[in-house]
Amino acid sequence: MSNATTHIVDDDPAVRDALQWLLRSRRVQSQTWESASDFLAFASRDLCGCLLLDVRMPGMSGIELFDRLRTRHCRLPVIFLTGHGDVPMAVQALKDGAFDFIEKPYDDNALVDKVLAAIAQDTKRCVRENSILLLEKKLSQLTLREREVMKRILAGTLNKVIADELGIAMRTVEVHRSRIFEKMKVRSAVELSQILGLLGD
Amino acid sequence: MGSTTTTPFGERINRWHWLWILPRLAFILFVGGVALLLWMSDRADKEEQRATLISDILWLEQNLRFHLARNEELLGRIDVAHTSDAKAFESYARTMFGFESGLRQMIWLGSDGAVRLAYPAITDPGLAGETGEAIPSQQSYRLARSLGKPVYSRAYPYFMNDWQFEVHVPVSREGRIAGVAVGIYRIRDLLGDSVPWWLAERYRISVNGDSGKVLGTRSKVESAVTGEGYQVAFDPPGWGLALHAEPYHAPRPLASLLLSGTLVILAVIVLWSLWILRRHVVRRQAVEEQLRQEHAFRKAMEDSLDTGMRARNLEGEIIYVNPAFCRMVGWSATELIGRRPPMPYWADDILDETRALSDSVLAGEGPEVGFELKLKRRTGDPIDVLIHEAPLIDARGQHFGWMGSLVDITERKQADERARQQQDRLQSTARLVAMGEMASSIAHELNQPLAAISSYCTGAANLLRSETPADEVLPALDKAVEQARRAGQIIRRIYSLARHGEDRFELIQFEERIDDALALLEADIRQNGIRVTLDLQARPLIEGDPVLLEQALFNLFRNAVESMRDTVPDQRQMGITLACADRYALLTISDRGCGIAANVADKLFDPLFTTKVEGLGMGLAICRSVVENHRGRLSFEANPAGGTVFHILLPMAPQ
Repeated sequence: MSNATTHIVDDDPAVRDALQWLLRSRRVQSQTWESASDFLAFASRDLCGCLLLDVRMPGMSGIELFDRLRTRHCRLPVIFLTGHGDVPMAVQALKDGAFDFIEKPYDDNALVDKVLAAIAQDTKRCVRENSILLLEKKLSQLTLREREVMKRILAGTLNKVIADELGIAMRTVEVHRSRIFEKMKVRSAVELSQILGLLGD
Repeated sequence: MGSTTTTPFGERINRWHWLWILPRLAFILFVGGVALLLWMSDRADKEEQRATLISDILWLEQNLRFHLARNEELLGRIDVAHTSDAKAFESYARTMFGFESGLRQMIWLGSDGAVRLAYPAITDPGLAGETGEAIPSQQSYRLARSLGKPVYSRAYPYFMNDWQFEVHVPVSREGRIAGVAVGIYRIRDLLGDSVPWWLAERYRISVNGDSGKVLGTRSKVESAVTGEGYQVAFDPPGWGLALHAEPYHAPRPLASLLLSGTLVILAVIVLWSLWILRRHVVRRQAVEEQLRQEHAFRKAMEDSLDTGMRARNLEGEIIYVNPAFCRMVGWSATELIGRRPPMPYWADDILDETRALSDSVLAGEGPEVGFELKLKRRTGDPIDVLIHEAPLIDARGQHFGWMGSLVDITERKQADERARQQQDRLQSTARLVAMGEMASSIAHELNQPLAAISSYCTGAANLLRSETPADEVLPALDKAVEQARRAGQIIRRIYSLARHGEDRFELIQFEERIDDALALLEADIRQNGIRVTLDLQARPLIEGDPVLLEQALFNLFRNAVESMRDTVPDQRQMGITLACADRYALLTISDRGCGIAANVADKLFDPLFTTKVEGLGMGLAICRSVVENHRGRLSFEANPAGGTVFHILLPMAPQ
């Protein structure tokens, strides 16, 4: 969770500063944004951590920012900070996939706990996404023939049968096999099957 | 009441036509009767005249015959002495002539028939006699001699237009005819001598020959005759002579003329007056017809009106109501007409006011424009009407009463009331929404520094718990203090926005504010039927903000009014007493409403505390805030008679 960052978007500088201070006291790394549009300009798919978002802001509102992030496939978990009258709006946002909402005035440590929970969840997501990314990178290194061979290895086909099916020499199959293991950085067919299982999810 | 004038006028007109025949008939009968009367009297006159004429002419004939007979006798008595010489004969003749018997000549014929004596002497013996013979007539002489009786000759002309006849009288002496005495009558002279003047005055008397030729007349010269003559035979002398009398046109008697003239004039006058009368009646009928149409038109107009009409005389007695009015109040016209105040349709609860208003209208001091009044129907339901009163002026310009038009505005008033309530609710809702919005924005604004303070403090606590050095914690606390100050500023700003400064204070006549606040609630008070007693024991002058004070009073009055919604109507009373004591003005507002429960008494002045469904919970809070702002005190207690009493104590302005 080293590079997980909490992004605070609030128009009130005192609130931003206080939240950052609070998070720092619990050793949570944070970054502040004074408007929704500023954060939107920065946001990307590979952010990791969580987003503390004030619902009521001049200019782009918190809800609007949330919607826009969704369309950009930014999966950063969002915790809404709402005033008294904004609860129904926040509930709707929760249904739309927001992580949580917290009503002002809030219990600060409970807020931090929620932030930590969000970060934990998002870190998992990030890790998984990163490994898939890595796997895809490795797969992209395989040649066409190597992929055909790998498909049959994963299906548990014997080298001799593979050679027959593809019409190549047994020896060639073995070379392909070792190349695949090398490129995919695995030592056995079982390990290969395991890492490719991630992809299947 | 409209059914009395439906008499069929057509029949009446026909009857009048029958009546018209009577005077005409009477007039014709009158004229006919008068004409008949005149004619009959004229005829009677004529018959009488004729009878007179006949008797007159018979008398004349007799008279003439008497003269002639006397002359015969005298001529027959002539003797020798007279016939002996001319002188004696002359004297005898003169004597004869003196009797005015119409004799004009006397001749003595001897027994041989020759003329012996004549007086006057025969001047022209050759003159032809009756038969062209000489005078005297030989034929008559012979006849007289032979008969021995007097004989008359035919009449023969003597000179022009003058006729004469002879009478031969044989004179016998000693048994034999001695001679014949001849007397010659001139007819004109005969008539002149023997017709008396009174007869000649009335008739033209003439002697006619047998062929109808006039042989002599006695007449006035110019007078015309009627042609209705009468004649009798003139015998002797006979020979076809006739005595004829014709009455002159006598002037009709003045009385008769006057009578017939008067009758004619009277008839003309009667005819003329009949004509005038008829013309008058025809005109009158036309006017009546016009009037009737006008009346029917107005009647239809009045009956079709929705507006009630009610006329009263100067004593206030109802003299007319139209059907719309009867429908409006539910009493029939017969029940209403003749009624005097108090009217049955006056609303019971405002009887005195209604009577005062009615009296002022009758005195001519009523409102000039229309005024609204509550009446009641027969069923007891209230009815709101808009009344316009106008003086009733008769044909002579005499003011004899008042006509009032009444428009039923009950529904309109109810609609107005509903609209007003709707408006009130709307305003109250709008106020609520605005207030909610304001509260929300205040809450949001206050939330920010509060949230920041909370975060700083939590953060600081976290750090201290993990035994971080105080230096690192301090900035957070400083920032928290900063945010607390910010929150305080926000609150001060809101307060200064909401609060009026003391610079609006001015000198106020307290009771005027009370009046104004009551005026704002007038509709509610009237609608709820609340009796307000205002007891101004003093008129204190105080120093304060008139708008705020009025608002505070308004809130208190309105609470009092609203608290009595469930009170029985005749107990809905609000008492307002203003008094002065020890340089303080004391206003007491008492109601007979639902009172204040013990469990809410503590919270009564708290802002946002309310017992009303649509209340904001600000009314009494504002009241107390305003009163305290004026260095006064607001308190309340239970009304011993039920309800609540509020007291406001305000310092009076320094003298």
